[in-house]
Amino acid sequence: MKYNSQKAGILLIAPSVLLICSLLVYPIVYGIWLSLFKKHSFFPDQRFVGLANYGYLMKNSDFWMSVWYGTVYSVSTIFCQIVIGIIAALIVNEAFKGRNFVRGVILFPYVIPTVVAIILWKWLLNNQFGLVNYLLLTVGIIDEPISWMGKDHIMTSLVLISVWEFFPFVVLSVLARMQTIPPVLYKAAKVDGAGAFRRFIHVTLPQIRNVLFVVILLRSIWMFTKFDTVWLLTQGGGAEKYIRTLPVYAYMRTFMYYQAGKGSALAVIMFIILVAATAIYFKMFRREEEI
Amino acid sequence: MTPKINFFSMRGQFIYGCAAILAIATAFPFFWMVSTSFKPLQEIFVFPPNFLPAEFTLDNFARLFEQTRFLTYFKNSVFVSFTTVVLTMTIGSAGAYSLTRFKFYGREKIASLILFTYMFAPIMIVIPFYVLIKKIGLANTHTALIMAYTAFCLPFSLWLLRAFFQSIPLALEKAALIDGASRLEAVIYVILPLALPGIIATGIFTFILAWNDYIFVRILITSDELKTLSVGIADLYNATVIDWGMIMSGSMLITVPVLVFFVFIQRYLIAGWGAGAMKG
Repeated sequence: MKYNSQKAGILLIAPSVLLICSLLVYPIVYGIWLSLFKKHSFFPDQRFVGLANYGYLMKNSDFWMSVWYGTVYSVSTIFCQIVIGIIAALIVNEAFKGRNFVRGVILFPYVIPTVVAIILWKWLLNNQFGLVNYLLLTVGIIDEPISWMGKDHIMTSLVLISVWEFFPFVVLSVLARMQTIPPVLYKAAKVDGAGAFRRFIHVTLPQIRNVLFVVILLRSIWMFTKFDTVWLLTQGGGAEKYIRTLPVYAYMRTFMYYQAGKGSALAVIMFIILVAATAIYFKMFRREEEI
Repeated sequence: MTPKINFFSMRGQFIYGCAAILAIATAFPFFWMVSTSFKPLQEIFVFPPNFLPAEFTLDNFARLFEQTRFLTYFKNSVFVSFTTVVLTMTIGSAGAYSLTRFKFYGREKIASLILFTYMFAPIMIVIPFYVLIKKIGLANTHTALIMAYTAFCLPFSLWLLRAFFQSIPLALEKAALIDGASRLEAVIYVILPLALPGIIATGIFTFILAWNDYIFVRILITSDELKTLSVGIADLYNATVIDWGMIMSGSMLITVPVLVFFVFIQRYLIAGWGAGAMKG
C-alpha cells in the first residue's frame, strides 16, 4: 500500500487542482489585473489606468446605491430564510402523517431553475391577472391591485421570491443536524419542567449552533453575490433601478456599458467585502471546537 | 423515536396546520403553473381566475414546439449537463480518492484551496472568464459552458465525495489487497460499489447546477441554436407580447426533469448516509 503512494496520489488529484487553478483562481487573479485597465468588453484595446476605475466608482452615486440595495437585500433575505428555515425544520422534524411528502415538497423551490421561479412569481404577482392580487382583494386586505413590480414594492417582491426560493437549503441542513440530537436531552429538559420554547432555546439551539454557523456563512456569500434571481426580476418591469444590487451593477457595467475594467473593479470590490465580512464573522462567532 | 403526533391535541393541530401552510406555500406555485399551461388563451386571463382549467387544451404546448426552438434548447441543455456530470464525476472521484487514501505534501493545502473557492461566485468569475474565453477563441461554444460548469462544480463535488470516501473503511480495501487483488481491482470491486450512492448524489447536484444555470449561458453563448433552456425560456419571456400559456408550458417541461432527478437524489442520499453509518 505504501510504495508509489506519493506519485499516484499527486497524479490523481492533479486534474482537479489544474482545472480549479486555471478556470477559477486564474480568472479571479486576471479580474484583479483587468480592473486596473480601461478596457472595452468586446474589443481588444486596453489602457492601463491604475486605480482610476476604483476612484471613479467611489465618487459614483449609482455605485453607493447598489451597495445599499445589495445590503438591504442580503440582510433581509438571510434573516427571513434562517428564521423560516428553522421553524420549518422544527415542524418537519415532528412525526406527523405525510411528513415525507411535506419534506419532499418543501425542497422543490430550491431545485427548480431560477428562471422558472421568477416566471412563476411574475405570473402570480401580475398586477392585472395575478392570483395574489385577486386573493388579497377577495379577502379584503387591499382595496385596489398592488403593482408588485412597481418601484414601491419591487424590493418586497424580490425578497419574498428569494426567501421562497432559498429557505429549503436552511431546512435541509438544519433538519439533518436536528435528527442527530439525542431524544434523551429533551426528556431530561421535560423532567426539569422546561416548556417547548425553553426546550428550543436550551436544547435545540446549542445543538444546531455549529451547523447554523456554516449555513449563515454560505447563505450570506450566496445572497450577497446573487445575480440571476435579481437580474431576471428586473427584466421588463421599469423599476429595475430600485433593486440594482452590486452583482447586477457589475453585469451592467460590463455587458451594457461595455466597461470590462469597471465591471472587474466591481467584482473585486465584492470579493474584498466578502473576505473582510467572512473574517469578521469568524472572529465574532467561531468557537474552538467548530469546523 | 418521538411519539406520533396526536391530531386532536392542540399541539397536534398546530403542527398539522403549519405543515399544511408549508406544503401549500411551496407547492402551490407549481400547481398554478401546471393549471395555467393547460388553459386556453382566453381562459388564462379570466378574472376571477379558475383554479382548474374549465376547458382543457394542449394548444400551449403545440405553440411552444412550433414557434420556438424549445427542442433545440432542450437537447443543448441535456448535452451540456450530462457532459459536465461525467467530467466532474470522473475528475472529482479520482481527486477525492487521492485526498482520502494517499498522504502527500500539500494535501491539506489543497483541501483549504477547495473551501476558499466557495467564495468565488459566478458573477465574480464570469467577467474575466468571458474575456479569457474570447481570447482563446472559445466564445459561443458548448465547450466554454462545460469548462465553466466543471470548474464550478469541482470544489463542492470534491468536498462531498471526500466525505463519502472517508466513510468507506480502509480495512475493506486492505482486506482485498491481502486477498491478492491489485490496487486497481480493489478500487473497482470494493470501493466504487460502496461509493456509488455518493457519486450519484453528487452527480445529481452537479446536474441541477448545470441544468439551472443562467448567467454563463447568457454571457458565453450568442447564437440562438446553441442556447440552453434557462436562457431560451427567459428570452421567450422578454419577447414583446408575453404568451403566458406558452411560457408556463415551457417552464413546466423544464422543471419536470429536475424534479424527477430530485426524487432519485433522495433515495441515493439516504443510501449514502447508510453507508456512512457503517463503522470500520
